Amino acid sequence: MKAIEVKNLRKSFGDFAAVQDANFGADSGEVLSLLGPNGAGKSTTISMLSGLLAPTGGEASIMGHSVIKEPEAAKKSLGVVPQDIALYPDLSARENLVFWGKMYGLRGAALKQRVDEVLEIIGLADRQKDHVGKFSGGMKRRVNIGAALLHKPEVIIMDEPTVGIDPQSRRHILDNVKELNKQGMTVLYTTHYMEEAAELSDHIAIMDKGRVIAYGTHDELIQMVGEQTRIDITLNTEAEKVLALWQKAEGVSKIDALDGKVTALVDDSNRVLPRLFEAASRVDVRITSVDIQEPNLETVFLHLTGRALRD
Amino acid sequence: MRILDLALKDLSQIFRDKQSLLFLVAMPIVFTFFMGFAYRNVGGDPNADTRIPLAVVDPEPDAVLNKALLTRLGSSESIRVERMSEADAMDAYRKEDVAGVLVIPVEFSGQIEAGEEAQMKLIADSTSAQGQSLYQLLRVPISQLMSAVEVSREAADIVDASDMSTEQSAAFDLAWSKWSEASKVSLVKIEPAVAEENADWTGGNPYNQSSPGILVMFAIFGLVTSAQILVQEKKSRTLQRLITTNMKPWEIVAGHMLAMFTITFLQTAMLVVFGQWVLKVDYLREPLAVLLVSVTLGLWVASMGLLIGVVAKEEQQVVLYSMIAMFLFSAMGGMWFPLETAGGAFAAIGRAMPSAWAMNGYQNILIRGLGLGSIWMAVGILSMYALFFFVLAVWRFRKMEA
Repeated sequence: MKAIEVKNLRKSFGDFAAVQDANFGADSGEVLSLLGPNGAGKSTTISMLSGLLAPTGGEASIMGHSVIKEPEAAKKSLGVVPQDIALYPDLSARENLVFWGKMYGLRGAALKQRVDEVLEIIGLADRQKDHVGKFSGGMKRRVNIGAALLHKPEVIIMDEPTVGIDPQSRRHILDNVKELNKQGMTVLYTTHYMEEAAELSDHIAIMDKGRVIAYGTHDELIQMVGEQTRIDITLNTEAEKVLALWQKAEGVSKIDALDGKVTALVDDSNRVLPRLFEAASRVDVRITSVDIQEPNLETVFLHLTGRALRD
Repeated sequence: MRILDLALKDLSQIFRDKQSLLFLVAMPIVFTFFMGFAYRNVGGDPNADTRIPLAVVDPEPDAVLNKALLTRLGSSESIRVERMSEADAMDAYRKEDVAGVLVIPVEFSGQIEAGEEAQMKLIADSTSAQGQSLYQLLRVPISQLMSAVEVSREAADIVDASDMSTEQSAAFDLAWSKWSEASKVSLVKIEPAVAEENADWTGGNPYNQSSPGILVMFAIFGLVTSAQILVQEKKSRTLQRLITTNMKPWEIVAGHMLAMFTITFLQTAMLVVFGQWVLKVDYLREPLAVLLVSVTLGLWVASMGLLIGVVAKEEQQVVLYSMIAMFLFSAMGGMWFPLETAGGAFAAIGRAMPSAWAMNGYQNILIRGLGLGSIWMAVGILSMYALFFFVLAVWRFRKMEA
């Protein structure tokens, strides 16, 4: 039995298909990342898994319980960390955790003990009496995660838990995820940061435009790119002047411009780079920096979609 | 149990907000006093003289018939006689200080006693209620006066008395005294209906109207606070987080409704206690009836608050919807003035309002002096409204969830 199983899952809002025939799964105790740019359908997918949205079609289950037919049983095994800070700012960190513990059915001494444990896990035991409204973004995110851990769920879904926080808090959260996974928890982690997905995941499902376009381990996904190399190029002007020439250059398989930076997927950087310099000279465009990178998840996304993954 | 925990969390958030407490506690008390004073002024001074003022122009106050008539009018419970000169009387009439002027002609008494024709003059607006009342009130004693004179004259003729004037005078006194005695028994007293109603419609205590009126009005206005919690839950995404727990949707709805009911009921209980001990409004005359009306009022208001909380997307919308509900149900439901004083269509629509039924329940106990049996209709209709709004709110909540 898989801890998370998604089969042909679909969700439409009118004519707009937010998720189209998504298929993926996660075994017990593994970390599965949903990687994709904003609007790829990650949040819609986990909203269906956590019972917030009714699927238009397909099936999904948590610990063998269908989220459509047995939603209460599925939710019992599930902890959800929403992307937004879903807490009460006028209550203290402890009061928030106690309240959410009660909502998960905990009572009395067991509740108190678990709240103490969670405060230690998220590193806020010394600030437990402070109102959440006074916390920094990173501290709020940690309480946000803590509220989903109280009932010791077998599966935890985290929707972009590191968005908009400082590096120190981000590091703390990533370490938390690893620690929870070490304790046997299955984690479904959505992110658009490829380095987070690479660091944490046993399996990665890459989503784009509502579809799961690739699924596998980190190494399996990298192998999809083959021997290709990714080159990031910065120009002294708009990329449009040179992009059409570079797309036709021999050895360039994919190229995309985003935020003033051009990302190209090439077969052999030693041979291709002189051609790119020459083409740029012809249209009076100066290359100000070149960064040659080993293939990574960004390269995979570019390879699969022809677009950069960057936010 | 989780329903109770959710309700307690809502209550804890409401009670921590000092502004909410101001709305829930201080404002209703201040408004109860304010409206009570207003009703006291509408009702007027219960000791005021409500008799119809009549100016009397009497050139011969010592004449027998003049004296007899004015003594009789002076003892009337319906007419207040004010003797004046003709000029002053007409001036007072023009200024509407008096409702009419009765002019007794010179030699009136002597001419009547002599069997000659004489006529008094009543100057009054025959189209006004007071003018018509004066005419009716004066017609009877004047007819009796004439009748007594006629009887005395006939009596003197029958006995063929040597001293006619002495015999006639004795007969007049006897006839007049008989009329006067009969009048005490049978004369119709014209009740000043409007003034009487004003004095009585609050049951002797103006707070009998203002206390339950403000109580119902602020129960509805309390939605501004309680329905906000649900909107804040939606905005902060905590409501969505609640849905991801294994709580059933109806448990979430019931938890929030329990908090709203508790707030409304506590506020109502506080105003009942305040009304009972400070304003001497006798709620405890029928404590069970008051409790039942208050509980069903709380259920109706809470279910309406739930609907507002589910429908509204922003806090401002909650304020707007709550204000609309408060003004609509307060004005049309008889919170500010009794529906009995309103026009036909207004009163008919108003009586269909749940707030009117809550008021009806309280007024049956406080003003009409009725018992437990008088409130079942109000309790039943309020319960039906509560169920209607609750079903509507749950239906909207399920739609929102999907």
